[in-house]
Amino acid sequence: MAEGERGKPAKYSAAGLLRRGLKGESWPRVWQEHELRTTYDAVIIGAGIHGLATAYYLAKNHGINRVAVVDKGYVGGGGSGRNTAIIRSNYLTPEGVAFYDRSLTLYNEMSAELNMNVMFSKRGHLTLAHSDAAMRTMNWRAEVNKLSGVDSSVIGPGEVKKLVPSLDTSLASRYPILGALHHPPGGTVRHDAVNWGYARAADALGVEIHQQTEVTDIFVAGGDGPQNKGTGGVVKGVRTTRGDITAPVVVNCTAGWSSLIADMAGVRLPVVTHPLQAAVTEPVRAFLPAVVVSGSLHVYVSQTARGELVFGAAVDPFATYSTAGSLEFAEGLASHVLQLMPGISNLRLLRQWAGLCDMTPDYSPIMGFTPVDGFICDVGWGTYGFKAGPVAGEQIAEAIASGKTPELIRNFALERFADGRLVGEKGAAAVGH
Amino acid sequence: MLLVPCPNCGPRDASDFKFGGESSSRPDPRTATPEQWRDYVHLKTNVAGNQKETWYCRGCRTYFSLHRDTVTNIFGAPQS
Amino acid sequence: MSPSRLPSGGAVIDRSRPIKFKWNGKSFTGFEGDTIVSALAANGVDVFSRSMKYHRRRGILTGDFWDPNCFVQVGDEPNVRAGHRLISAGIEVSAQNVWPSLERDVKAANGLVGRFLTAGFYYKTFMKPATLWPKYEKILATFAPGGAIDIESTPGRYDKRYSHPDVLVAGGGPAGMAAAIAAAEAGADVMLVEHNHQLGGHLLWGSAEDQKRAASLGARCIEVGVEVLTDSTVTGRYDGSWVAINQRNVAGETIERVVKARAKCLVIAPGLIERPYIFEGNDRVGVMTSGAARRMLNMYGIKPGQKAVVFTANAAGDAAAADLADAGVEVTTVDGRTGADVVRASGSGDRVEQVELADGTVYEADLLVTAVGWTAPTSLANMSGDRPSYDPSAARFFCTSLPDDVLPTGGLAGDGSLEENLTHASATGRLAARRGLTMRNQMRSMTPRASTGVPAPIKDASEPAPLPRANHPELFRSTTHGLVDFSEDVGSKDLWAAAAEGFDSVELVKRFTTATMGPSQGKLETVNTVAVLAEYLGQSIEEVGTTVWRPPYAPVSLGALAGKNSTPHRISSIHVWNKANNCKFIHAGAWLRPDHYGNAQAEAKNVRDNVGIIDVTPLGKLDLQGPNVPDLLELLYVNKWRKLDIGKVRYGVMVGEDGVVLDDGVTARLGEEHYMMTTTSSGAASIWEWAENWLQTERPDWDVRIVPVTTSYTSINVAGPKSRELLLKICEDVDLSNEAFGYMSARPATVAGVAESLMLRIGFTGELSYEVHVPAAHGLKVWEALLDAGKDLGVKPFGLEAQRILRLEKGHFIVGQDTDGLTRGASAGLGGLIKLDKDDGVGLPELRWAADRTDLAQVVSIALDDGMIVPEEASQLVDGETNTIVGRITSSRMSPNLGRSVCMGQVIPELAAPGSKLTVLLTDGRRVPAKIHTDHAFIDPEGARLRA
Repeated sequence: MAEGERGKPAKYSAAGLLRRGLKGESWPRVWQEHELRTTYDAVIIGAGIHGLATAYYLAKNHGINRVAVVDKGYVGGGGSGRNTAIIRSNYLTPEGVAFYDRSLTLYNEMSAELNMNVMFSKRGHLTLAHSDAAMRTMNWRAEVNKLSGVDSSVIGPGEVKKLVPSLDTSLASRYPILGALHHPPGGTVRHDAVNWGYARAADALGVEIHQQTEVTDIFVAGGDGPQNKGTGGVVKGVRTTRGDITAPVVVNCTAGWSSLIADMAGVRLPVVTHPLQAAVTEPVRAFLPAVVVSGSLHVYVSQTARGELVFGAAVDPFATYSTAGSLEFAEGLASHVLQLMPGISNLRLLRQWAGLCDMTPDYSPIMGFTPVDGFICDVGWGTYGFKAGPVAGEQIAEAIASGKTPELIRNFALERFADGRLVGEKGAAAVGH
Repeated sequence: MLLVPCPNCGPRDASDFKFGGESSSRPDPRTATPEQWRDYVHLKTNVAGNQKETWYCRGCRTYFSLHRDTVTNIFGAPQS
Repeated sequence: MSPSRLPSGGAVIDRSRPIKFKWNGKSFTGFEGDTIVSALAANGVDVFSRSMKYHRRRGILTGDFWDPNCFVQVGDEPNVRAGHRLISAGIEVSAQNVWPSLERDVKAANGLVGRFLTAGFYYKTFMKPATLWPKYEKILATFAPGGAIDIESTPGRYDKRYSHPDVLVAGGGPAGMAAAIAAAEAGADVMLVEHNHQLGGHLLWGSAEDQKRAASLGARCIEVGVEVLTDSTVTGRYDGSWVAINQRNVAGETIERVVKARAKCLVIAPGLIERPYIFEGNDRVGVMTSGAARRMLNMYGIKPGQKAVVFTANAAGDAAAADLADAGVEVTTVDGRTGADVVRASGSGDRVEQVELADGTVYEADLLVTAVGWTAPTSLANMSGDRPSYDPSAARFFCTSLPDDVLPTGGLAGDGSLEENLTHASATGRLAARRGLTMRNQMRSMTPRASTGVPAPIKDASEPAPLPRANHPELFRSTTHGLVDFSEDVGSKDLWAAAAEGFDSVELVKRFTTATMGPSQGKLETVNTVAVLAEYLGQSIEEVGTTVWRPPYAPVSLGALAGKNSTPHRISSIHVWNKANNCKFIHAGAWLRPDHYGNAQAEAKNVRDNVGIIDVTPLGKLDLQGPNVPDLLELLYVNKWRKLDIGKVRYGVMVGEDGVVLDDGVTARLGEEHYMMTTTSSGAASIWEWAENWLQTERPDWDVRIVPVTTSYTSINVAGPKSRELLLKICEDVDLSNEAFGYMSARPATVAGVAESLMLRIGFTGELSYEVHVPAAHGLKVWEALLDAGKDLGVKPFGLEAQRILRLEKGHFIVGQDTDGLTRGASAGLGGLIKLDKDDGVGLPELRWAADRTDLAQVVSIALDDGMIVPEEASQLVDGETNTIVGRITSSRMSPNLGRSVCMGQVIPELAAPGSKLTVLLTDGRRVPAKIHTDHAFIDPEGARLRA
């Protein structure tokens, strides 16, 4: 088989399920296994949604498919497989709105585009306001959203109760629900399916996915730092646990460890790693029809198609690389969610877990070129990286192919910290799910 | 919950403390270039391993430094 | 299978105490001590649920807490584990998620199309047409398992408890009990936590002799002072040996609680969980583990069937065969150790009728008992950082790398006889006591001024001799395929298909098929999943590895995790008066504050016309003393402070090191080295810590002492042209004349007879006003004195809403409302305030650079051309008819004093000059013209009223 060329993958469809069901045939592999080659046009570090989407759009939109996506674990094993899979575009700044709205569009088209049902459940997204200040922020977001053509509006407690009857909307509550930002296009998606869908589609276009392949160093020449790395350098390739790779482009699509990866190229990032915890309950019959977020109470919750409630909160209060999780998270979560929905106290928490988040000073990502030529970052996604995965991949792919920073991500460049031009999402994104 | 060794109060629940982040040194504000200043304000080492960091005890109201392994969360001895 | 109660036997039931309850609307009777499952089985019930996907009938599999087939609804409580929950009088138990009934369920039709519903089938279909997906989604949701919650139900009582044992033992079987006894005998404070209702572990479903042994060990635990929690589960072990226990049988009204224990040493003795065997028909009603059969027989006196095949590969299976025979069951034993194998359970419905062996033999049977080995529940070890390793000769996982303060014993540590186990456990308990007490002594020694009297640890405790590991055949799957995950209806065939598709690591296969993700949390499923995958891949179980067990070990109700829902708020000493006087309160941070007293517009007008008083107690107040206070102020504020005279007050703004506005307020110099700083209410705590941080870490040589006095004082702002007149009536020791006590001054005062009060002449409202701080205990007295004395002056209380109107009329911004996370000092209209010619200051370099920047949004006052319109706060300022945003309204109110609306906002610098024309996009879509107001202040820009 010629390089980069591959037979079309078996198409997923109801008819296919029926045929294979009758014949008892199994489906072909979602993605192939390969020997690691010594050279690629681009190496993408991290087989999460950002890395896989970047690889997919590189191959699909720009015909660049001599690409290796390497990961020290398995596909979608980091933040992409640990998040609460909430999708929305009701951000605070026009730049943020434009960016996430493009992502929402890509999510809308994703099942058809990737031929994998990612189960985008457009159930609507409610951000509750418990104070005048929060109401003001909701109004602000709604106004900016409307101007950008995004469906968002502020609704009162009565409408909130109609949409989500399990919420306590009595004003006697300690955290009274004064209103909410209602964002009907928001919802949830099956995160694993998105990861697998991008992996499968990228693989079909010739991209190679290498799991259990950890990057241990990045080769840079001509830089002004130690080992000729850093500013002014040119990236040459990477060292992995399965061998060295030569490549003119290396993309850092990791989370949690992104600053350590960037260090390998001599690039320092304004990133601090904090765990973000999440939890699910035992399944119960459907009763929660929308995604509910409360910033003041640091909680967001939705019910999966399987009937479990999925919860998330704010990042842990201290920086750590440990994903052990804490009891305080579960306690705080339960206490907060019961403030909102007192009727579910006999529902049981089944499992808690944690993922690592790279927090930046302005709660906005770092995307694009770095002082090392060919070393590109798509990192610093804090607690909201999953919802941006598709557009980030699309834009980073464009940056790689064109050598220029696309307009949509111009504000998120690494230089902004040195230039003192931070992005203004901090207020809206502190618990921005 | 982490047990944070306060030099005054002894080992106490982390909820009694505020995490102050990794220790950094402040450049001279009269002479710092924008790059130096913003390095200090924004850039962190974010080490995976032994980190010197600041904690504030809300019992005795003391700021102090500690070494902690950021992978295992195990503390070294406290330093005032 | 038709289970029935035996005429005698049943160690945990009391046949003299019958209990009536309901199952699917019909009345049943069981005995005290019966679980829902045993009580129903005693009445011949053998089906408790329908499976998730194919809705097949499901009966007892393990007959305990973990039984995936025995989830039921009890009243408004979903997902109750019927193999564990005891019956109580009158409970209404029903089957979950069946329609129209448990016996006739329409979704059983799914079984017919099962081969098309392979694991993850939904990822491959329902994509076209896209418009139909929401409908498919609704149908899929009806297949979700689980019971129903009642959103209108009133939450019951839940609680928390803290505990500080030297040794915490997780698991009250023989090993756990022996460890607890030994630890207590060695002087340690010991807590023993048992998941089931009685201590005893597997001895409970053993022989009469076993049961006697359990009772005597249990009695000894009490004798030596071990605190025993039953029906309680150690659900997690977190950093710092912080251990969570879910206690489900708290005395009194409390339903459940979480006990949080700082265990100095944790002994894990959870025993072993019996694995189901994978073969065709393994989910038929009548197929159960040996543990299930023995629990039914020996704990509850239930005969689980008439004709049994016992497939045994270990002593537990042999014992089950013997127990069944004793109970009069016709038993055929199939010995897995000799290579015999069960390949199929079959029957006409969902129940077992025949059992087929690998050699083709078919037995008629209504009961198939399997004893094929164990899962070591290594959860707590995992949570302690251990990565367990698989031992093929023992056919289970063992811990490898536990920290010193976590010690395994019992089945987790090895096999051996009961006596060998008890010996190991006792040695483990002694070692745990030594380590626990050593830790307790160490913690004391790290605590200056700690009390002494902690017992010294014993010296002669050492690592226990390792327990032998018994050989056990690796029996996971027969030659046929069967179910692996009973909660999720995932079979070994599904796992193989998933692996064939490339989901060939344990994490991927788990995610793709959902095996191990259900309510039984992988207790029965994980090792079988790994084994089936390993078999497919031709790898060893060790190579495939296992998934990480995450907390909680057993599900915990949200109520227990939340505990008592106590959300206190702070109130001032005036609160009682406010409550009695038509005050509408508002939550502001932790405080409950007066928002208005019925008519904020009138309140605001009265302040301008007469005099008003407002309770501003939450305003942050810091008492600063020492020679270096001016240095500190000069560092923290953007302006200069070294030349503030005694008795004078100055306004200041604080920024962070990034130059972004942090807080604002005034500081008064009260004496030579004595100042009082006020902060915003929300900054009261954080600014104190901020100042301490600078003092302690950057300027340790400075002598400044800070005492937070926010709640030491009740603070009342007396504002309005008649405020001086009012205060004159109740304050005798201060010359209130403008000459003696001018604007921006401070005086100690006696107010309404309350000495040691303080008066600041400042004016957030823009009026002549005095901020009166009185010792908090006398706040209400002063408040009432002001109202009383000011009757003829028209004094009225006013709330935050009126204050917002007044400050907006005056053009004073509020940090966090009119400024945001990007607002630099220079853009908040503070150009004149900021002093850049200082040696040092927080964020000083950023302030310098920002002064040169021309692209920063500016905080401005805005007047709409049509003053009758009050734009919603957050209305956007747009560029004419386009949708380009050039700013926004941050504050807006109708001014009762001007009869028109007044606003503040942020706007791009190009439009910030007074008189610049703006377009305001109202929330209803109208675009209306506005202008930047000439001055920040709409009322009294010259400040004549302030200075009157």
